[in-house]
This record gives sequence, structure tokens and C-alpha cells, in this order.
Amino acid sequence: MTAGSRVAVIGASGAGKSTLLGVLDGSVTPTAGRVEVHGAEPAALRGRELRRLRARTGTVRQHLDLPGPLRVVHNVNAGRLGAWSTARAAWSLVRPQGTAEVRAALDRVDLADRLHERTDRLSGGQRQRVAVARLLVQRPDLVLADEPASALDPALADVVLSLLGELATEQDGALVAALHDPALALRHCDRVIGLDSGRIVLDAPASSLTVAGLEGFYGVVR
Amino acid sequence: MTALLDRPAPGTRRPVRNRRRWPWALAAIALVGWALADSGLFSGPVVNPGGAAQFGRIAAAALRPELAPDFLVVVAESALVTVAYAVLGGGLAVLLGALGAVAAARTTWGRRRTGRLLVRGALAVPRGLHEAVWGLLLLNVLGLDPWVGVLAIAVPYGAVTATVFAGILDEVPRGAHDALRAAGATRGTAALYGLLPQATGSLLSYAFYRLECAVRSAVVLGLIGAGGLGYQLALSFSSLRWEQVWTTVYALALLCLAADAAGRAVRRRVADPRPGPDRDPVLTGAAVVVVVLTGWAVWFLALSPASLASARALEQLSYVVSAAWPPSTEGDLLADIGAAALDTVLMSVLATAFATVGAVTLSGLAARSSTAGRARRMAGAGVRGALLLLRAVPPPVWALVLLFVLLPGVLPGALALGVYTLGVLGRLVGEAAEESDRRSREALRAAGASAPAAWLYGTVPTLAGPVLALACYRWEVAIRDTVLVGLLGAGGIGVLLSAATVAFDWPAVATVLAAVVLLSLAVDLLSDRIRSALR
Repeated sequence: MTAGSRVAVIGASGAGKSTLLGVLDGSVTPTAGRVEVHGAEPAALRGRELRRLRARTGTVRQHLDLPGPLRVVHNVNAGRLGAWSTARAAWSLVRPQGTAEVRAALDRVDLADRLHERTDRLSGGQRQRVAVARLLVQRPDLVLADEPASALDPALADVVLSLLGELATEQDGALVAALHDPALALRHCDRVIGLDSGRIVLDAPASSLTVAGLEGFYGVVR
Repeated sequence: MTALLDRPAPGTRRPVRNRRRWPWALAAIALVGWALADSGLFSGPVVNPGGAAQFGRIAAAALRPELAPDFLVVVAESALVTVAYAVLGGGLAVLLGALGAVAAARTTWGRRRTGRLLVRGALAVPRGLHEAVWGLLLLNVLGLDPWVGVLAIAVPYGAVTATVFAGILDEVPRGAHDALRAAGATRGTAALYGLLPQATGSLLSYAFYRLECAVRSAVVLGLIGAGGLGYQLALSFSSLRWEQVWTTVYALALLCLAADAAGRAVRRRVADPRPGPDRDPVLTGAAVVVVVLTGWAVWFLALSPASLASARALEQLSYVVSAAWPPSTEGDLLADIGAAALDTVLMSVLATAFATVGAVTLSGLAARSSTAGRARRMAGAGVRGALLLLRAVPPPVWALVLLFVLLPGVLPGALALGVYTLGVLGRLVGEAAEESDRRSREALRAAGASAPAAWLYGTVPTLAGPVLALACYRWEVAIRDTVLVGLLGAGGIGVLLSAATVAFDWPAVATVLAAVVLLSLAVDLLSDRIRSALR
């Protein structure tokens, strides 16, 4: 995968999209083959080295996995835990650090007024945007997103995917997004990879594909 | 054609902070600070350097408990006595609770609130007094009779069980019940077919939990003379035979562990029933064992229903009641009660705070982890074993041990309670940590967070609410246990109670008892409010 690329991963439910993203961020250990992220193999690293590598990868997980009782400001700040010392992380829970950047990030996803709210008081779509704001303050080189727009209205879905795409490309990184909406995939990505039962069955530039063609891939019959 | 209606211009809303819980937090901090100041920790020496040697001897004896065969026989017999009291007391409590639940449930009373509130108020009296207090009172009515131990457990436990059972019944979804009522079923039939089947699991689960607790209570009753392991412990302790003390403590720990494990196995089965039409062998076995044990215990303790209704007991009861009425309203006594009540509250607060801090600190280790390495797993097993020992020893015994190294005062009593509560709370918090969702912590780790930072941001926030709720619940228990510790001399309102009982000053006893009940009730209500503010 080259710097600056935006890749959509598509495939039916259970095709292996989330597993692929998990392998990339190191939360799933590959059973065969090898993966290189930022030029290093995550499975071969330990301790500080591994942390530094992981801090360069940001993920929006499918189930978000944001601790509910934590306030929005802390959940966004959690994106910087890879860069912060433990003492600073602990102190930030008492006096939130770097609120200006948190506020700016929330502003970009239209949630600025929810800074001090408990995350579990937000709607599904709002939580999804908190997860995106977390990535905005983390500033990773590699952005992994597992259905980041599943609970958003069409306008917000576009905003969020543009943000993730910008984030990835502005520092010569890359975006890998698992998406179910063919139109969204074609609008925001320049390469589409199709998975079926864990194998790549489609790998083509977005410009060569059509919405109808991708729907056919899913088996949509109109 | 889509018509766009006028939409409001996007306003600039300022982020708002929710300050609803701040007063609670400030009050809690102030209360703990006051309790610390009152304990004398800042105002003078609290450590008794002369007792260190004796304390060392106690600790050293842990490694060489008394294993002489004749002493082991005595310990085994004592364990049987404790089990017999626990089974009979716990079983009777569940029976009383089932009857009381019918009287206390909203289902029974419908919209007639007065009746329900009266029953709930009446239940608060037996519930507010510790098992040992009941034991002391019953001793004065029944004399030395096995019924004392059985009833001392059954009466307060019965009241608690009734309240909890009624709550379970009231919280069952009412659709089926209402449909049956609408189809013309009587109130009783509708409850039997529409409510009870849905509530059985929770009721059974709680009943077994109560039996588990009864083992611990039976030990405490032994301390005030009902026999069993508690009595054995007190005997060895007062003769300073530390090897024997440790043998008894290990026996207690084993008994508690067995009760915990059996109770947990049954409750797990109830929560997650096996598929298929067959009876679950574990549940059937548990029911049979309880019935057989009950029969054996009646025979073993030589319990006779006649002694409960004997002329002497009735005469003594009417004498005590008539002597205790009207309760004393002497100014001196009331002032003493006020001061002692304050001490009791501060002791219980200090104990709960100590236990909560300790339990949270240990929770990382106490929680079982499937992914951990060998060293971490060994440390976890060690911590869980230590917590088991902490809760196997009743708080009054802890107070006696601590009095070797601390000067008398509020502190040894509070610490004794704190150590015991840490044993209970440590296990509960550890279990809560096991159940907490690991995924948010793993997500943070995947983004490069260090292990402690991931724990702080991923686990602590989800754990804080449940842990504070558990701490509040333990505070309710601790306030009753403080009375118990005081009963055996460690300060607080229990001291007044034991002094008045020993002097047969029944009007004063009545006043102190009323104060104890009111105190427990007040703490229950406050803790209830705090827990609802936490939700």
C-alpha cells in the first residue's frame, strides 16, 4: 500500500473485513503469512517500540469500544495516550489536558457542545463521531476505520469520511476503511478491495468501478 | 416533490457541565476527612510499640498451626456445629422471607400504599439489628438453648430476605400477570402463574446466597457463646494459643470457601440453565442436600419445638417486655447515645473508605485473567487467598489482634472492620473487574497506550459506578458490624448496648436498640439515595 492511498474494503458480513483491520492494528495475531506496518512487523516488537508503532495507527472500531461513563473530553484525549506518559494521562482525568485541540476536533465533527457530557448519554451516531474526533487528536499515519459511517445520516457520513481521508493523506499516510455503502466507497476512496471468506476476490482502482457493479458484487438484485 | 420546511439556524451552544453529583462527592470527602481526624491519626500516637513482639508471635504461628489429632477432632466437631446453625438459621430465614415477601410486595397491596409501608417499616426493626444483638436478646429470653443461635440468624435474615424477595417479585415484567387477571384469574392464581415462574431464578439464587452468608453469621454467634468454630476461636484466643487460633482460622477459611464455591456453582446454574427437559442434577442435588442437612441439624443440635413455647420462656419474654416499657429517656443516656452513634458512623465510614481504597488497588491482581502470564496468575491466586483469610476471620477477632499493635480507641475498631470489609469488597470488586468489557482497554492498547494508562481510561471509568455502589452497600453492612465490634468492647454504640444488657437495665436497652435501628435505617436510606445518584 502506497503513501497517500485511500482503500475501501468491501465484502459481505463475515467476509473478514474486521479481522483484516485487526491484523493491521495488531489486536489480531495472524495465523499465517506476515504483515508489515510502517516498515516493521508488529508481532516481532515488544514494549516501547511496539507502543511507538501502535501510536502511529489509529482505529475507529466497529463497536467503537468507548468507555461509556467517561466524559467526551477524556474519550477524545484517549487518542493521545500513546504519546503521553502515564502520569500525564492520570492527571488529565482530573484536569483535562489540551482541551483546545479536543474542542477543535469536536468542532470538526459538529459535537463541540458535548465536551463534558458522558459518552453513554450520546446517540449512536454521536458516539461514532467521538471515535472519529479521537483519531483527529491522535494524528496517526495509518487510519483504519471499521464501518465508520454506519450510524450517520448521508451528509455526516460524507463529512466523516472526508475527514478521515484528509487525516490520512495530509501526512502522507493511508486510509483503510471497511464500508458497506458502494457509493460512499467510490466517492472517498481510490482503490477498492473485495473480500470473500477471507480471500481477496477484487482489487481495482475506484475509477474503474461503478455503484451498480459493486452492488452486483454484494449480490443486490433490483 | 420535497418541501423543505424552515429549519432553525444552528446556534452556538456552550458545553455544559453536569454538577449534579458534586455535592455528594464533597460530602463524602468531608465525612472521610472527619472520620480520619476523629480516629486520632493526626493528633497523637496510635501505635503501641510494646505489642509488636506479641504480634510477631501471632504472625509466626501462621506457618505452624496446631495439628494434634485430638485438637483437630475438636475443630471438626465445632465446624459441624457452625454448619448446623447456619443451615437451620438460613433455611428458616428463607421460609420466613417467603412469607414476609407476600406481606411486603406491591403486588399484594396494589394501590393501598399505607399497608405496604407499614409492613416495610415493621421489617426495618429486625433488619436493623445485628445477628449478635439478636443473639444477646434471645439469650435473655430463652436461656442457653440452641434456638438462640438459630433464631438470631433467622430473624434478621428473614426480614432482609422478605424485603429482597418482595423487590424481586415487584420487578418482574407484569404482562403475563395482567393478562391472567384480565382473563378472570384471582389475584393469587395470577401471581402463581404469571409472576412466580419468572421470578424463580432470582429467588433461588438469592436464597442460596443467604445460606452462604449464614455460615459467617454462625461463626460470629459462636463468639458470643453459641458454640462452634467462633467459640473455639474465642477460647484459643483468650488463652493466647496462637497455633490453635490459626488452625481454627484455616478451618473457617475452608468452610467459607466451600460455602462460597457451592453457592456460586448453584447460582451460576440458576442464571444459565441447561437446555433440555431433564432436571439439572446440580440444582436437584443442592435442594436434596439442604433438606437432608436441615433434618440432620435438628437432630444434631437437639432442637425441640417445645422449648420455644415453654412456660419459662413465655414468662421471661413478658417480664423483659414489661420491664423495657417505657424506654428510658434520661438526658445523660441520650447524650451518651448521641456521642456513641457519631463514633459508630465515623468508624463505619473509615472502615468502608479503607476497604474501598484497598479493594480498588488490589482489583487489578484479584481479577482472574485468561491472558496473563504465569507470574501474574500466581500473584492473583495469592491475593485471592489473602482476601479469603481476611473475610474468614470475624471483625471482633481482628479488633483483638489489632489491639496488640494499636492503642485503644476508634482506630483499631475501624481498622478491624476495614480489614474484614476489604476481604469481602476485594472479592466483589475483583469479580466486577473480571466482568468489565475488555475491548475498550484493548482498543487503547492497539493505539499505543501503556498498560496503566489503558486501565485508567478503559477500565476504571466503567468500574467506578459499580464499585461505589458496592461500597455503599458494604457501608450498610459495616454500620451493623460496628455495633457488633462495639458489643465486644471496641467502642461506639455497641458498648452502651452491652453495658445496659449486662446491668439488666431494660429501659436503657430499649432506648439503645431504638437508636441502633434508627441509625441503620438512616444509613440504608442515605446509601440508597447515593446509589440512585450514581446511576
